[in-house]
Amino acid sequence: MSKTKRFIVVLAVLALAFAFLYPSIQWYFLTPKEDQALAVGSREQIREYSRKMAHTDINELEARAVAKDVQDMSKEYPIAAQVAAKAYRSEKRAVPKVMNAQAIVSAFHSKSSAFEAIEAVYRDHVLRLKSLHGNAVQLGLDLSGGLSVVIQADLDALSHKVGHTLSAAEKADAIKRGIEVLNSRIDKFGLTEPVIRPQGEDHIYVEIPGTADPERINSIIMGRGSLNFHIVNSEATTALAEYLKTNPLGVDDKTMTVAKADLVPAGFKIMRVYSKDSYGLDVFTEQYMVVDQNPGLDGTHIQSATVSSDPITGRPETNFVLDKAGGELFYTLTSANVGKTMAVVLDDRIKSYARIQDAIRDQVRITGFNVDEANALALLLRTAALPVELSVVNQQAIGASLGEDAIAQGQRAVVVGLLGVFVFMLLFYKGAGINATVAQILNLYIMLSVLTAFKLTLTLPSIAGFVLTVGMAVDASVVIFERIKEELALGKGRKAAIDAGFHKAFWAVMDSNITTIIAALFLAQLGSGPIQGFAVSLAIGNITSLFTSLFVSKLMFDFETDVLHAKYVSISWRVK
Amino acid sequence: MKRVIHFSRLFVATAIFSIALTLVGVLGYLVKGFNLGVDFQAGINQTVQLALPAVKVSYEGKGNASFTIGADRATLVFSGADVDAKTIVFDFKTYPTLEAFAAALNAVPQISAVNETGSGAAASSLLVPTYQGNTQLLAAPMTLYRAPAADAERFGSIGEVRQAIVAQGEVSVQQVNPISLQRYIIRLQDDGKNPEFSKTVRDHIRSSLEAKFGADHVVIMSTDYVGARYSESLSRQAGLLVLGTLVMIMLYSIIRFKLQYAIAAVLSILHDALIMVTFVVWTRMEFNTSTIAAILTILGYSINDTIVQFDRVREERRLHPELSYKEVIDLALTITLERTIITTMTTMLAVLSLFIFTKGTLKDFALALLVGMTSGVYSTIFIASSFVYWWDIQVQKRDKKRMYTRENKAQDAKTELRAEPRA
Repeated sequence: MSKTKRFIVVLAVLALAFAFLYPSIQWYFLTPKEDQALAVGSREQIREYSRKMAHTDINELEARAVAKDVQDMSKEYPIAAQVAAKAYRSEKRAVPKVMNAQAIVSAFHSKSSAFEAIEAVYRDHVLRLKSLHGNAVQLGLDLSGGLSVVIQADLDALSHKVGHTLSAAEKADAIKRGIEVLNSRIDKFGLTEPVIRPQGEDHIYVEIPGTADPERINSIIMGRGSLNFHIVNSEATTALAEYLKTNPLGVDDKTMTVAKADLVPAGFKIMRVYSKDSYGLDVFTEQYMVVDQNPGLDGTHIQSATVSSDPITGRPETNFVLDKAGGELFYTLTSANVGKTMAVVLDDRIKSYARIQDAIRDQVRITGFNVDEANALALLLRTAALPVELSVVNQQAIGASLGEDAIAQGQRAVVVGLLGVFVFMLLFYKGAGINATVAQILNLYIMLSVLTAFKLTLTLPSIAGFVLTVGMAVDASVVIFERIKEELALGKGRKAAIDAGFHKAFWAVMDSNITTIIAALFLAQLGSGPIQGFAVSLAIGNITSLFTSLFVSKLMFDFETDVLHAKYVSISWRVK
Repeated sequence: MKRVIHFSRLFVATAIFSIALTLVGVLGYLVKGFNLGVDFQAGINQTVQLALPAVKVSYEGKGNASFTIGADRATLVFSGADVDAKTIVFDFKTYPTLEAFAAALNAVPQISAVNETGSGAAASSLLVPTYQGNTQLLAAPMTLYRAPAADAERFGSIGEVRQAIVAQGEVSVQQVNPISLQRYIIRLQDDGKNPEFSKTVRDHIRSSLEAKFGADHVVIMSTDYVGARYSESLSRQAGLLVLGTLVMIMLYSIIRFKLQYAIAAVLSILHDALIMVTFVVWTRMEFNTSTIAAILTILGYSINDTIVQFDRVREERRLHPELSYKEVIDLALTITLERTIITTMTTMLAVLSLFIFTKGTLKDFALALLVGMTSGVYSTIFIASSFVYWWDIQVQKRDKKRMYTRENKAQDAKTELRAEPRA
């Protein structure tokens, strides 16, 4: 490859690395703390925030409009003024010169359309920040402080219950059910959204950054989810929906009550309806239902739940089977409520609902949705049929002050360690040392970017991995430089010596990096969090260092030879 | 040409030395066992600090007011729909004493701060109330703690801490330096007799300390709980991983080199791992996942020098067919010596800085790495080379035997190099 081409490759890699690092820079350095605090909340909390903001804005603007306040509001209510201007433009109406309260209010046809438009802007703003946060380098608990819990799903008990050893698919399904139950409780964890993911064969890992009370978290995690069937009161549900059109904040989300009490008849209660987003997380559909306070049937009667397709239409359907007693109960329930809607409720959240077509006994068929929805419902029903006991097997709580301590330690170790290595290289290898130093700085930069791109977490051990990697990666330069020195001692010229040095050292460098990567990959399988962070940064660093110390470093030498017309190699105090 | 150093003269002595050293390690393991860390032994690890209440802060307003304290500043963040979003930073340079700090907090609307003890103490002596509570300020006051300002204010000792919690079971207490910090690491084993261990012990530790030192004088900095099943599966996993790594490196070496070189390389890294274990056993250093990490890292790292060394043996053998095998090994070792030392030194510089600047497990980890690296240089020069040399002698002996019995020609091919010539 020509030098120009190689240079372009290097530039392209550096640019790509910057693209991956950019969200981190934006999040950690350019986003105000108060905005960060909002963005780390769950979607539910963000929704509540934006609705309240929009509600307050509109009410205040309306009050001012009534009071004939003519002041320009575009400073005080920038978002409302913006949305109003957009509304004017979209309807080809003239945008008023002075955006006073009256002008803003009359931009919208109704209060609810104003509410929706303004709320969307608030929400999008926070959600954009949230996705920015998702793309930025994540700080591990040892640096940010917080709580991590490893939860064990009791697969032995489950295997005992079903009477045979579980297959890999059954185990995976069991873990999925455990996560499903935990996800339903996600907003009980606190102001920061937790990370919940499967780990190994029978563990679930939960991480709550910031501060959290271990006692409370334990009580949230423990216990199985309770799945129930409730009959929906359609009239009350419709009436409530009508009421909410004019009073968007009509339902108090904490108590699940409505200000106009007669909307909910005695013996009924309000519940929210959820669906799944593309990550499999619950999202509130903005829909409320009024359901019978007492469950019509308890989910423990479910024996199995599967997905199949209708033999004629080929449409997916979810089937579930009830035990004998459950079948009787269900028959009584469904025959009394034919034509009504029945909701499937997990931990007070409506996850699905369907209209009762006929009186049904123990074999139930639910149709009318796509494959994903059918699978999600079957999984949900299995949480009751094959409940998974969850227990905490490992819990780590780290105070934020220790985290700050850890960051300070890490910083010092990194700075001194790197400086030590660089100064040594510069002193020992003179001019070539500059080359090695630049290669290692680029290596660190690319490493950090790869770490971000793979959404890996930065922990104190992974910082240790960084330091160690630089110490090891510089070995490649040492091997190459020692070779070049030998070639020079044989009397070769600059170009020949450098080419031969790189060529002969190539396999030695590859061998040593590959063995280290093998060890690091095995290490990455060990236990939870911290060690993995170390292993992964070691593996990544070894790979990226191959690029910088073989490719970039050679290019720098060639550049000095051909462009700067260097005649000698400044590589040692002995060899000239 | 440089003078060749005759490393091979020391082969027998070093082999005996290494075997003796690893035997001492095995013996130590059999007699004393590992000082197992919390990862490998079910139980609870808690870092607590005995501290003094300094300031009580409460917030009467709406929305979220979260309050974090750092080493040189405190940050108050208001967020949510019902409050004007803003961030207020209190730099401890501007508010050097707790009194000034509390006054500044009081100036914020709806926040009230009351000095408890030592209003003249430096604001930077404040501790974060950690996870015991929430960083959210509420109407119920949150207590901020501070470390004792002077030795005269110190009120606890490691002995008293141990005494306070000894009733809870098998307990070990470690002190974090400096003493004036009054920070202790408490470890309590879960012997499996108490099924409620994970739930109750955490509170018991705290309440017994509070009974001894007074409420508002105990701050829990961190808690690690590891259940029995978790620690068992981790031990099994760790063993398998070390074995797996060795096998993979062995396979890779066999592909790249001849069998005796591969065996020699794996033998030498196994030696390094055993030396590390010997060190860990005899220094009573805690054996935890970081130790496993250090061993695996050394397995991957220490083999590098050995590989470069063998690469060189092959090359010199080709260049100098007139030399004996022993002389080739000595020559290759001499040539690569500078390189072996420099590469290890650069890495050691990095590890040394980790060792100096970090605390706790990371420090132990760095120490274990240093031991492994030193052993790595030694084993590359003496163990790996002496093994291939020994192998060569065995092969020659066998060949000679064959020559006598079958009157065959000496089979040089056996010791010939198989790999493609490089460069």
